[in-house]
Amino acid sequence: MNVVKRCDGISRRDFLRVGGLTALGLGLGDFFHLQRAFANNNTLTAKAKSCILIWLDGGPSHLETFDPKPDAPQEVRGPLKTIPTNVAGVHISECLEQIAGIMDKIAIIRSMTSPLGEHNLGTQYLMTGYKPTPALVYPTFGATVAHVRSQNRQNLSGDALTALPPNIAVPNFTGQVSGNGYLPSATRPFSVAGNSNKGDFKERNGGFKVRDLDFYKGIDVARLSRRRQFVNALNAFSSAKDAGVPTVSDPELERAYNLITSPEAKGAFSFSDESEDVLNRYGTGGVNGIGQSCLLARRLVERGVPFVTVNHTGWDTHNNIFQLKERYPTDRNAHLPSLDRALRALIQDLSERSLLDETLVVVMGEFGRTPKINSQGGRDHWPNVFSVALAGGGVQGGQIVGSSDALGEFPKERPVTPSDLAATLYTLLGIDPSLELHTSDGRPVRVAPDGANVISELIA
Amino acid sequence: MKTIQLTLVALTLLTASILWGPVHENTSAANPATSDGSISKASDPIDFENDLVPIFTKFGCNAGACHGAAAGRGEFNLSLFGGNPQADYKAIVRQFAGRRINLMHPEESLIILKPTAQIDHGGGYVLDEAGEGVHLIRTWILQGARYETLRHLAHVEVSPKKQVIANLEHSIQLRATAHFSDGTTEDVTRWTVFTPEDTSAVGINTVTAVARVHRPGRHIILARYLTEVVPIEFIVPLNEVLPQKTEPETKRKALIPKSTSLNHPKDLKIDGEILKLLSTLRLPVSAAADDATFLRRVTLDLTGRVPMPDAAIAFLADSDPNKRATLVDTLLQSDEFNAYWTLQLAKLLRIHSEGGNTQGAFVYHQWLSEQIRAGVGYDQIARSVILATGDSHEIGPANFYRTVDGAGEQAEFMSELFMGTRLRCANCHNHPLDKWTQDDYHGLAAIFAKIESGQIVKIKPSGEVIHPATREKAVPRIPGDRFLSNDVADGRVELVDWLTGSDNPYFATAIVNRLWKAMMGRGLVEPVDDFRATNPATHPELLTALADDFVAHGYDLRWTLRRIALSAAYARSADTIPENATDDRFYSHALQKPLAPEVLADAISDVLGVPDVYGDEPEGTRAISLFDPNTESEALDILGRCAREASCETSAEITGGLQRKLHLFNGELLNARIGVPDSRLDTLVSEGKSPMEIVNEFYLAALSRHPTDTEQEFWKQHINTTASANSQKAVLEDVVWSLLTCNEFVVTQ
Repeated sequence: MNVVKRCDGISRRDFLRVGGLTALGLGLGDFFHLQRAFANNNTLTAKAKSCILIWLDGGPSHLETFDPKPDAPQEVRGPLKTIPTNVAGVHISECLEQIAGIMDKIAIIRSMTSPLGEHNLGTQYLMTGYKPTPALVYPTFGATVAHVRSQNRQNLSGDALTALPPNIAVPNFTGQVSGNGYLPSATRPFSVAGNSNKGDFKERNGGFKVRDLDFYKGIDVARLSRRRQFVNALNAFSSAKDAGVPTVSDPELERAYNLITSPEAKGAFSFSDESEDVLNRYGTGGVNGIGQSCLLARRLVERGVPFVTVNHTGWDTHNNIFQLKERYPTDRNAHLPSLDRALRALIQDLSERSLLDETLVVVMGEFGRTPKINSQGGRDHWPNVFSVALAGGGVQGGQIVGSSDALGEFPKERPVTPSDLAATLYTLLGIDPSLELHTSDGRPVRVAPDGANVISELIA
Repeated sequence: MKTIQLTLVALTLLTASILWGPVHENTSAANPATSDGSISKASDPIDFENDLVPIFTKFGCNAGACHGAAAGRGEFNLSLFGGNPQADYKAIVRQFAGRRINLMHPEESLIILKPTAQIDHGGGYVLDEAGEGVHLIRTWILQGARYETLRHLAHVEVSPKKQVIANLEHSIQLRATAHFSDGTTEDVTRWTVFTPEDTSAVGINTVTAVARVHRPGRHIILARYLTEVVPIEFIVPLNEVLPQKTEPETKRKALIPKSTSLNHPKDLKIDGEILKLLSTLRLPVSAAADDATFLRRVTLDLTGRVPMPDAAIAFLADSDPNKRATLVDTLLQSDEFNAYWTLQLAKLLRIHSEGGNTQGAFVYHQWLSEQIRAGVGYDQIARSVILATGDSHEIGPANFYRTVDGAGEQAEFMSELFMGTRLRCANCHNHPLDKWTQDDYHGLAAIFAKIESGQIVKIKPSGEVIHPATREKAVPRIPGDRFLSNDVADGRVELVDWLTGSDNPYFATAIVNRLWKAMMGRGLVEPVDDFRATNPATHPELLTALADDFVAHGYDLRWTLRRIALSAAYARSADTIPENATDDRFYSHALQKPLAPEVLADAISDVLGVPDVYGDEPEGTRAISLFDPNTESEALDILGRCAREASCETSAEITGGLQRKLHLFNGELLNARIGVPDSRLDTLVSEGKSPMEIVNEFYLAALSRHPTDTEQEFWKQHINTTASANSQKAVLEDVVWSLLTCNEFVVTQ
């Protein structure tokens, strides 16, 4: 597993040890999921059909992005300047100049607050809306949305199902959480690049090379289909003797087969039909190719994938915060300019394709950074206040929700918790925050915690 | 709003779920327990501990989602489920400037105004103003709100404890009787919280405590009164009648309809207990497994290998009536058994390298493998690791103290491993469903705090842990048993003597249950690391008998494995019949067990006839023999191995999902080896074997059986013998591929 090394070196496993108090054991789990996961099917009418989560892994500095403090002392203000946006009175970091031009489409929450300043715990809280507990591992937004959408889809007739998985991570999901929590493993994010430590996720001519999506040498559709036929026959023979197992083919095998053999689904990963101009707008350089990841995200939601996580690593800036702007003179591909380009291109592209209203775009990480620059010229973990940006999907753009105090240390007005954010995201996506899903042993759990408040002013 | 969803307050029963509809105290409904006149009159002194705390539990006030949370709610903090009445008394009477009670005007007390929703209450309306709860609280305040405790709760008795219910929808009155230290008893049914483990199976009226069972099967209900939690067991037969006669002989024939086994041995205790419960449940058993299935199953379970084709042929042809017993004995004495059971215990002990340093894991694994080979008793293995000191790069068991970080985690690890219990809940509060207290948790941690676990593991006399409740040094303690002297240098000696004592209730039971699971696919207690009174075994007498027998035979793993392997229950077919298809825990048929990733990787290599490569290990190294779960291996990554940094028993990574299936179709795991030179397929083809002979060989190698007539017919249709050699080989490659990916191959049937 390719886990990005972070300052504290803690992996997800260290946390997982506390999980699993509720396991009933054996395969009963999925049976119960099927039986009761959706007793009550209450969806709201909402605009957002899909969600693109741009996850700035490591914890982006709020002071260098959406909540600069130009009037604070130098050690808080930092080395970057501030620029106005197309919304009167709203200033953001000088490195986000393209975003500044579409600020009217973006809402910023500047009063996010959490007590959890450790990567793993913060990621769990931000990605699930629940503070981590030993009793239960919660599903991330993507898993919940995938689960609810796939349940609802079965009730709709004539809805063309894409062969693509419902919850996709580009290029990889963060190693901090399993993803599906107590939900069935099929809702876990599918990582486009598989084990990307082999560097196989990006093709020269644009697009992503998904691991094991292309035929092995010497194998073609005819042979793949023969293999599928053979294994289905063998499974049917062995289950014929057994009263308990209906003769059905393995659903995940079918999904894999459909994905491999569907030109429509497979085509999402190749950018050969995108113009040079589009590729350039998103940006072809940049650390971890956030531009190309965002372009793939757009292609996936276009094809009906309900949840895409763009995972952009390297925001754990304990050293030299200036490197977010440039790592060497004339650098155009540092974290901030890459994000600036990619987000602007994504929002504009979605807007031009009339997809922005039905696609919720969320930009966040697990926490903010210490207001005071440290002795290495960087900033350390700071969960007490930080910012989240949202656009599309029924979000009222051009507004700032809440505020932080003069030094960016604590919320000044309207503190918003990750739980509140979760309730808001679910609401925007048409999922009632009080909807109950069930763990494998039948325990009902709300999708967003009890007591979470929807940030109503965000919703247009 | 005059209702409260009890779902809000009771969810923290951790393993239980509650779906009671809107409930609150209902004074109008008939209350079976009030007729006996046990309501305290105004003149009787109200006993805070025994009269008031149960109200807070019954109505969820002190549940984890409300004021029982570690941080409380709304700045009002009660101990979880009333575990600490003195603290509750302080919170109510002393804190908040005493405003929670009003001695002059009891009705004006916040403790009454809030839950009756006369003023704003985050938890809504909980108590009826005219109900008995409010009456008791009011009377108590009138009497001066004193901490009176005339008696202490000794234990709670429930009725019924265990009941077989003939008809669904038959209603059962539950009762709870409290027995107090002064010898008195009281019917406390109305203050007892009855929680079914599965609310879709059992419904309980919260006012009348009448239970109705909606589904056949075995159901557990937890009854909670004050700090006591007691299980109630209902059994509803799964079938109308069991096709059987009354005499034992014919009964057994009926239970084993069509025995294809030649003289399969049986174990009187194991089979007696299993058949007894099956008979109660009216669950008929599946047929006995045929020889091929038994061979594959027992070889996989005892040695982690698929039988070699020639071994399969020989066993199938053998007409010795004792051949199964002979086979089991041969397997138990084999090197393969040693290698596989070293892996099984290495997973339990979580042997793994740390930060690229493999030396510790290497010597630990080697030491363990020597113990297994020599047949050292499990008690001695436990003694060795718990008492270990020295250089962890040379002394294997010393790595026991380098497996997890910190004394608290060591206590959790030890209790899960050797006691099969989860002490960890008792870190922050007394365990809500078990008897473990914070004294137990931090007392055990205090023993381990005196061990320094650098590369050299040694005694550190100054080591200590702070008890979070007292804010003082925790006193070393053997959990649930006794405190040790505060100045004992090394409490591990007393701990291990207690743990491996022949009358220890946890040690042998925990490992025997794991052995049972390894063989049978499900623990008698499940999860296997969650033993507690409120999670009873499906077959308690059997578990006790097996544990006693294990102790009597020198804690010999092979002895107990042998007993299980030679029982009729173990030898049943996994094929179900309509009447037992839903059974997943009573052993009416064998349960299918997915092959462990290491076993599957080896099996694939064996069938293909091409070994895989693991990190820098020499060629031919088998996956089950790797000492370090972090050894580089794409196959094991794809198949989903356990890194052993956390318990492998509760690991979330069970299936590889879509990625694994894509890889099976297009990845290297199979494609790169399936027909290469010197592979099994290549060899058979170059030997000039016919396609159907080759199919048969692969059936033997992969499934330890010959193809059935239907399967032969299928393959004959799909293999065109007139096609070109290349095209035939491609078809055969696809046959092999399907045999390696089919359900029958990837599980133990």
